[in-house]
Amino acid sequence: MRSTRELGLAKPFATRAAQPGHHYLRVSVEFPDGGVRLNAAHFKQLIVSALKELHGEVGAALPVDVLTYDEKTLSAILRVSSSGFVKLWSALTLLGSYQNRKCAFRVVQTSPFLLALSGNSRELVLD
Amino acid sequence: MSAPLRRLRETPRHLLVCERSHVRHERSRHAARVRGHAYNCRVSFLIPECGVLPEPLKSVTTDMGEYYLVKNLPLHELVAQEFISAFVKTGSCYALTYNTRIDQDNTAALLPTGKLILSVDKDTYEELGLQGRPSRYSGKKVMRYSADGSTLMSYFSKHQIQAHQPKITFSTLRNLQCPVLCSNELQGKPEESCSAQELFEWLGAVFSNVELDNKSFSFVSTYCCPEPSTMMDQAYLCTITGFILPEKIIQLLDQLCAYFDEPKLAQWVTLTVHGFADSPVSWRENEHGFQKGGENLYNFVVFRSLDYWLQMAVGANDDCPP
Repeated sequence: MRSTRELGLAKPFATRAAQPGHHYLRVSVEFPDGGVRLNAAHFKQLIVSALKELHGEVGAALPVDVLTYDEKTLSAILRVSSSGFVKLWSALTLLGSYQNRKCAFRVVQTSPFLLALSGNSRELVLD
Repeated sequence: MSAPLRRLRETPRHLLVCERSHVRHERSRHAARVRGHAYNCRVSFLIPECGVLPEPLKSVTTDMGEYYLVKNLPLHELVAQEFISAFVKTGSCYALTYNTRIDQDNTAALLPTGKLILSVDKDTYEELGLQGRPSRYSGKKVMRYSADGSTLMSYFSKHQIQAHQPKITFSTLRNLQCPVLCSNELQGKPEESCSAQELFEWLGAVFSNVELDNKSFSFVSTYCCPEPSTMMDQAYLCTITGFILPEKIIQLLDQLCAYFDEPKLAQWVTLTVHGFADSPVSWRENEHGFQKGGENLYNFVVFRSLDYWLQMAVGANDDCPP
């Protein structure tokens, strides 16, 4: 068996990342009056306009990535820098309309780890 | 910067702990870490450059064991002498309340050590009259169990008990861009290998079906596969969802290590385990809570040399992983 020294492991090497650089949100948008079709670019534009409405031009410049987008359910996974997380969530929550149509964002799940969004035990249904 | 503006940029504390060691090393803690994480709702493994699952892995995957849902079970049944003798003393009984939210409802969990953990609100605590301590982070319930099958079914036959099989899905991913990793370089090396954190994010992207061949100048998203990367023709992804015991996860991990007993194209494989968001404990008896998320998950990256990386992630209302 290789010795600890050969492996370069005096003890298991550990590093701790106190603050992950990004936050991830699983969101969906609802249009109560229905009949709205948005592609990914429109969806991104919707988010940018939400940020602009609440946080102004500087807010609108916040880099937000739409990692996945489902046109049928109008749901997506967003990525934002940790320092912009509160701004983004507040802007989405307070968005009431888009192009004169009433709408509401639902933030289904958030995490600083993208991996955590793929396993939500609250969606496990046993009946 | 003024205080309100500063608060806009703050986020709750989260932790990602990364360790590396070797599977056969006498002081490796990989088995202890897996055993210490009692409540697991989802296990996934990814094998690059693999189109067909080897038979030993397939048989471990399909033999994850049943778990049981018992409805309207009074909690005092868990401290009955008969129950303790039949199940708790065997040391392999796990139980967790189902459909309760740790940040809103009363929750109970039975550890294989025999300890019953109750997370209750203030009114229930005062009614119970038991000695406890306040949560560090701020019933008659449906319970979920995993223990010896036939005896549980007959023991709880007076209550509504249902057996459930874990749900298993297999898929083959084609043309997958994978990061290049070097087992000695946990932090990555510029132009040579990616860091453990980049790998952790990439794995999340794979599981969430994020487009990896995206260009960073795209309007919609700037996320791309971390560099350096290689293109894999195919990769095998298996996901098991249910109430999964640590012992079964250890068997799976052993088989993934045995995958490299014969020469393989893959440089590494991963095993990802998600804990229950509403469990009152994460590792061992560390308190777990739900602030904006209930994440308590870990991920193994096992290399051909049997060096491994272990990444453990917890949320804001959690103790630091061991």
